[in-house]
Amino acid sequence: VTAWSLGGLVALLALAPLLPGLAAKTKALLTGRRGAPTWQLYRDLLRLWRKGAVYSTTTTWVFRLAPVAGVVTPVLATFLLPLDGRAAILRFAGDFVAFAALLALGRFLLVLAALDTGSSFEGMGASRDASFASLVEPALFLGFVVLALGTGQSTLSGMLGEGASLLSWGAGAPSLAMVAVSLFFVLLAESSRVPVDDPATHLELTMIHEVAVLDHSGPDLALLLYGGALRMAVFAALPVGVLVSRAGLAAPLALGALLAGTVLIAVVVGVVESSMARLRLSRVPQFLVAASVLASLGVILQLLS
Amino acid sequence: VTPFFLGLAAIVAAGASAASRRAFALLASAGCVLAAVPAVQVLAGGPALKVQLGAWSFGIDLLSAAFLLVVLGPGLASAWYGHRALGDERDRPVGAARTLLALELAALALVVTARGVVPFLVAWEVMAVLAYFLVIFEHERAEVRRAGLVYLVATHAGTLALIALFAFWAGATGDLSFDALAARAAALPAGGALVLWLALLGFGLKAGLVPLHFWLPDAHASAPSHVSALMSGVVIKMGIYGLFRIVTLLATPPAWWGWLVLGLGIVSGVLGVLWALAQHDLKRLLAYHSVENIGIILMGLGAGVLGISYRLPLVAAVGFGGAILHTLNHALFKSLLFLGAGAAYHATGTRALDRLGGLARRMPLTWIAFLVGSAAIVGLPPLNGFVSEWLVYQALLGGGTSAGPIRLTLIGVAGLALIGGLALACFAKVCGIVFLGVPRSADAERGHEASRGLLGPMFGLVAGCVLIGLVPVLAVRPALAVGAAVARIPVTSAGTGVVEALTPIALLSLGLLALLWIGSVAMSAVRRRRPVTEAETWGCGYALPSARMQYTASSFAAPLLATYGPLAGVREERTADAFHSHARELVLDGVILPAWDGVRGALWRLRPIQHGRLWVYLLYIIAVLLLLLLYIGLAGGAGGVSP
Repeated sequence: VTAWSLGGLVALLALAPLLPGLAAKTKALLTGRRGAPTWQLYRDLLRLWRKGAVYSTTTTWVFRLAPVAGVVTPVLATFLLPLDGRAAILRFAGDFVAFAALLALGRFLLVLAALDTGSSFEGMGASRDASFASLVEPALFLGFVVLALGTGQSTLSGMLGEGASLLSWGAGAPSLAMVAVSLFFVLLAESSRVPVDDPATHLELTMIHEVAVLDHSGPDLALLLYGGALRMAVFAALPVGVLVSRAGLAAPLALGALLAGTVLIAVVVGVVESSMARLRLSRVPQFLVAASVLASLGVILQLLS
Repeated sequence: VTPFFLGLAAIVAAGASAASRRAFALLASAGCVLAAVPAVQVLAGGPALKVQLGAWSFGIDLLSAAFLLVVLGPGLASAWYGHRALGDERDRPVGAARTLLALELAALALVVTARGVVPFLVAWEVMAVLAYFLVIFEHERAEVRRAGLVYLVATHAGTLALIALFAFWAGATGDLSFDALAARAAALPAGGALVLWLALLGFGLKAGLVPLHFWLPDAHASAPSHVSALMSGVVIKMGIYGLFRIVTLLATPPAWWGWLVLGLGIVSGVLGVLWALAQHDLKRLLAYHSVENIGIILMGLGAGVLGISYRLPLVAAVGFGGAILHTLNHALFKSLLFLGAGAAYHATGTRALDRLGGLARRMPLTWIAFLVGSAAIVGLPPLNGFVSEWLVYQALLGGGTSAGPIRLTLIGVAGLALIGGLALACFAKVCGIVFLGVPRSADAERGHEASRGLLGPMFGLVAGCVLIGLVPVLAVRPALAVGAAVARIPVTSAGTGVVEALTPIALLSLGLLALLWIGSVAMSAVRRRRPVTEAETWGCGYALPSARMQYTASSFAAPLLATYGPLAGVREERTADAFHSHARELVLDGVILPAWDGVRGALWRLRPIQHGRLWVYLLYIIAVLLLLLLYIGLAGGAGGVSP
């Protein structure tokens, strides 16, 4: 474990709340509004943290555990990412399975917390969340498969860090581009953005993630919001790791490239949000299957090369 | 081997002394522990054990030892739970039910240790028939009798395939020991293609792989819960054991069979979990998840066979090891889930998901046990399901990053990922609808915590799930040793890259638990300093919520099932004022029963020849005799037959 990888961890945890703010700011500027300040989420988090909370009499300990898990699981997933472009804090063969499983645990508890309230709105959100997540999973794993084929490694450190220089952008460029786009789709779905979900929607019936956390308030809601931002940062790090070959860079430069890349991805998310509307719910599976198909094509191209 | 047979004798003695509750519990537990001793010794690196009695040989090698632990550990938990649950029964032959349970355990232990065709088939048949009687415990209900009948037909069809398999394999040699079969393996025509197909049919019917799973959901849902736990956790694993044994006897199974097993695994896994999502009955849902997990086990097994065929011993060992470990893990968490479901059924009297709800408050300990089982079956850290699914992923990816056609095992990675995502949705539905929210019926309101005697076995299984999750090296090393033995490579080289990963996995799991604990403690401290109030769930302004307004299991699953269309097997009925959805068993109700009706309808045309009048039958006899004479006359006329 190097100082830079620990520093990267701290930086990512500290800067994560910027990402939703950046996306919102981009969207505001592109639609001709001034928009809230980029660091608005920090303010919101602080305000919510100081507030009291209202708990539904129906809820149990699951409702209180889910926000904690919503932060803990992406933090632990970050431990598996090669932040300084070399090795992650924890690395082992097949650690991408653990990466996906950790984030799945967070989602599992979040869905249970929504059902814990007994509200039909939150049940609806939970159902949609779980349904769409099940379609995202194959896309994510197929993306990892392409990277494993390209680098010959089965660790995230190898796929996105030191081994990434082995990804030949010459012959492998089409498959890598497909994976990057597929992972970007995964990011949109996993962090509840347009076109899968709309963080700015104001009608419960059209919400997915927002309605699943309807009953959380005060410090619990702060944790959920922070966990959501972390989730976005963690998933943004994947396409950045694919697109930017950081293995040749010095550790501080590699870390800087990663952070700059995630910021850029947040801006792209904002551009996507201002250029298209949320898909109709029945169309969302098609979008998610498209992500899997793209990654599968990437696998096929890798197998042929 | 002595402790094994002593333990077996104790288990049988427990069956004989079922009238005394205390003697049964003591003898059964002592027997299981004693019989497990040699298995643990073998797995720890001791020499394989064997009793040579000609055709009636028994032995414990690594493979038998692993399955012996599957039988004795989760099996004992189910038996113990059943023993206590039966204590509450009135007006039923409780003693006989206990005797059957103990004898079933003994038969299972003999199945995995038999070293000859005759003892194997005898133990197999005893196991299958005893299971039938265990299933029809509540035989006054028509659906239980029907489920039992379908099971009985299916299991005997399987046994028939096995008899054909061994008869064909042994040929005219007359030596029916497994050693003799192994020696003849090379002489089988077409690389043993017929043997391999028959093995898939016979053992596949027992394991419940798609499309041979049709008997499983009914039988597992209709049986008493401890029997469902035993059947789902242990009995169907005998099919997996059989497939493994065939692989060891053949030594080098052909590649097409590996692809077939892998393909069947993916199909069983995806369809099993999809059909589980569609269920409205708690125990039927769990039964379909057994189909799914058998699929995951077969994916490991298939990858292992392909590893042998394409000369990648590491892939073979990890694939087999993953399959073995997932077999044990599934036995632990599926038994746990069925026992938890049994406790909920016992407390509320209903298994209908949409009549349950709010049980977490009424049975908090059962809820914790069920939640652990659910997280484990979904493959979430820090539990055992994650470890074995990770091993299977390793095998599939190991094949995929090699050279040659074996790279297509990558399809399995996508399949396993899809299975994981669907399983998460399904168990979120089960946990959320059954245990969370508010009760949806008066039945659910009656829910109460299970007795200590029922919670004991459940938490024994919880301990197993958590232990393997937190200290995976305990289970992965022996599983890899078994995998290496099946793949016929030295144990030391089997773990490359895998064993080193176990320490970081343990760290990750421990870190996860620690952070969740610290976070929860810190958050409760924060909440104490904030003004916290309690109120009704926010109803978006609606002030009179009722329990019926909650999301139901059907509505939770609806978006996913709609995505998969007719594959999900859901039939909907919409009228002006009502909506019903039914989950059909696509193979049994969609294929087998219509085919049977077709056969019966065709044969019905022959009905007119059966008049029941004596003179008609005499006429038939005379006609047949005349025809025979005519035939002989014609054949003789052709010069073929001489007197």
